Amino acid sequence: MYNKKLGVVLAAGLLAASASAGANGPTAAAIVGHTCAGCHGTLGASVGPAPVIGGLSEMYLASTMAAYKDGTRFGTVMERLGRGYTPGEILDMSKFLAAQPWVSGKIPVDAKAAEKGKTIHSANGCAGCHGPTGISPMPNTPRMAGQYADYLYFQMMDYKDAKKAIPGAAMIMRNMLTPVSDDDVKALAAFYASAK
Amino acid sequence: MSTMNRRDFVKLAGAATAVGTVGFPMVGFGAPKASVVVIGGGYAGAIAAKYTKLYVPDAEVTLIERKKEYISHPFSNEVLGGERDMKSLTFTYAGLEKRGLKVLQDEVLDIDIVSKTVKTKGGKSLKADYLIVAPGIEIKWGAIPGYGQEAAELAPHAWEAGPQTLLLKKQIDAMPDGGLLVIVAPANPFRCPPGPYERAAQIAANLTHAGKKKAKIMILDAKDAFSKQALFTEGWKHNYGDMIQWVGASGGGKVMEIDAKTLTAKTEFDDFKANVLNVIPPHRCGAIAAKVGLTDDSGWCPVNQATFESKKAKGVYVVGDSCIAGAMPKSGYAANTQAKVAAANVAGAILGMKIEKPFLTNTCYSLLAHDYGISVAGVYEVGADGVLADVKGSGGISPVGAPLDTRKRESVYGVSWYNNIVSDMFT
Repeated sequence: MYNKKLGVVLAAGLLAASASAGANGPTAAAIVGHTCAGCHGTLGASVGPAPVIGGLSEMYLASTMAAYKDGTRFGTVMERLGRGYTPGEILDMSKFLAAQPWVSGKIPVDAKAAEKGKTIHSANGCAGCHGPTGISPMPNTPRMAGQYADYLYFQMMDYKDAKKAIPGAAMIMRNMLTPVSDDDVKALAAFYASAK
Repeated sequence: MSTMNRRDFVKLAGAATAVGTVGFPMVGFGAPKASVVVIGGGYAGAIAAKYTKLYVPDAEVTLIERKKEYISHPFSNEVLGGERDMKSLTFTYAGLEKRGLKVLQDEVLDIDIVSKTVKTKGGKSLKADYLIVAPGIEIKWGAIPGYGQEAAELAPHAWEAGPQTLLLKKQIDAMPDGGLLVIVAPANPFRCPPGPYERAAQIAANLTHAGKKKAKIMILDAKDAFSKQALFTEGWKHNYGDMIQWVGASGGGKVMEIDAKTLTAKTEFDDFKANVLNVIPPHRCGAIAAKVGLTDDSGWCPVNQATFESKKAKGVYVVGDSCIAGAMPKSGYAANTQAKVAAANVAGAILGMKIEKPFLTNTCYSLLAHDYGISVAGVYEVGADGVLADVKGSGGISPVGAPLDTRKRESVYGVSWYNNIVSDMFT
């Protein structure tokens, strides 16, 4: 479920300390943040198809990792890894990764599917929360523009699948996506992956 | 559910302050630049060099590697399966040079671990403030009677990716339907613990695609259990029926002798004559480490497992397959995070920053088919005994009996693992 305490602390902006690539030396945040790179790319700029995590919001990163840790979000390997970190370490890595620049994915996207996805995005009112291209002003709503299509597809399919655990804050996604067909989910993923 | 408690908050606020005040390197005018020499440019060494430079942009970091191009051993099983070519495993060091590192293509002949002076075949002598040594593994020739370098030309090991991989691939491609391929698997510890079993699956994929459905693969093992065993057993059966058979040590799988000329593996009880014989022999740590006194009686390199500083020499760090790291396997991801811990400690020593805690993880995928992946993961901490162990409750293998959708996802994320980890090394 959505972690209220965590959100309040993050929103209070108490974590605004700089945590750049490493020019600040081996801070605790940098050391823990760099462990993700083997699967998510240097500084979280994945070359795909595992998701780009560098440049996502602190709140989204921290609440997602906390959900993997406590088993409220289905994953393949992330629950097993999430359980290895303390809440403080999760905040450290989130702060570090959030301070990195967002680098959009480089895997080519099926243009026809992306075009279809754009119409589904409009028809379902996705922009209301996710903005016109999948960039939301809300801190616990992740950037999707330029994210990898495979990852977005898997994640949306989990929202559709009532047997899979999802955080409380994402229940709205389950409601929104349940009536959407698998093919249309694929098209939506292509649209966001191709968006700037 | 997890919540952040007050103690975490205070700790965090403290850490945030520390970043702002002591984070910047305090290098005075005219002060000599710190020098760091990294030996070995693989999964551990390339990362150690890159991240040392990232932490201390001012430092002079030199990476010494004997090969001009690096060939990744992880994912070389996919070449045997026909899913991947050697080009996709081959990298140059140009990306690291662009980061301001010096890459010296040369062979290290000797290291004075007290003065931290490195002598190379090319006649260079480099003195460093800190050394990071990552020599990897070597094949222990002769450990199995009859299996020496010449035998490997007939019965390839293919455990160092390169010409050996291509030789084995060629033999698999030429194998007749109904033929027998034998894989000889070593006792622990060895590099890439799930590797021999993933290899069996990739070879089965190759044989199946070629229509050789009567071919058999037999693994003769020097041990009675292996990494991700339940998952491999399930995945072999699902993808390839009865094509793959595993024989453990107590079932007569321990190979006592190899006759490479007749492609025969001899166990205590039987002789197995193969059409293709793949011998994965025992390893030892890179010879240079033993030569200069970095190893102990086990033949591997003892280190402080919180910092990866050698127990044999101050200011010398050993990372990757050659070091002793408690519960961490000899895997690419383990090497990656060990190298980052060593880099952080070297940087901390240069900048006067104390490193409170190491962060060490492992994530390792095996691809049993193009759409069938499994994984093992671990997060480690140093126990009171100074030995790395799993953080309680974390890590483990993919669920046994999981739906195919999960296996498919892990195949996608397995390939993604490879894409990202080599990008972390070489760009």
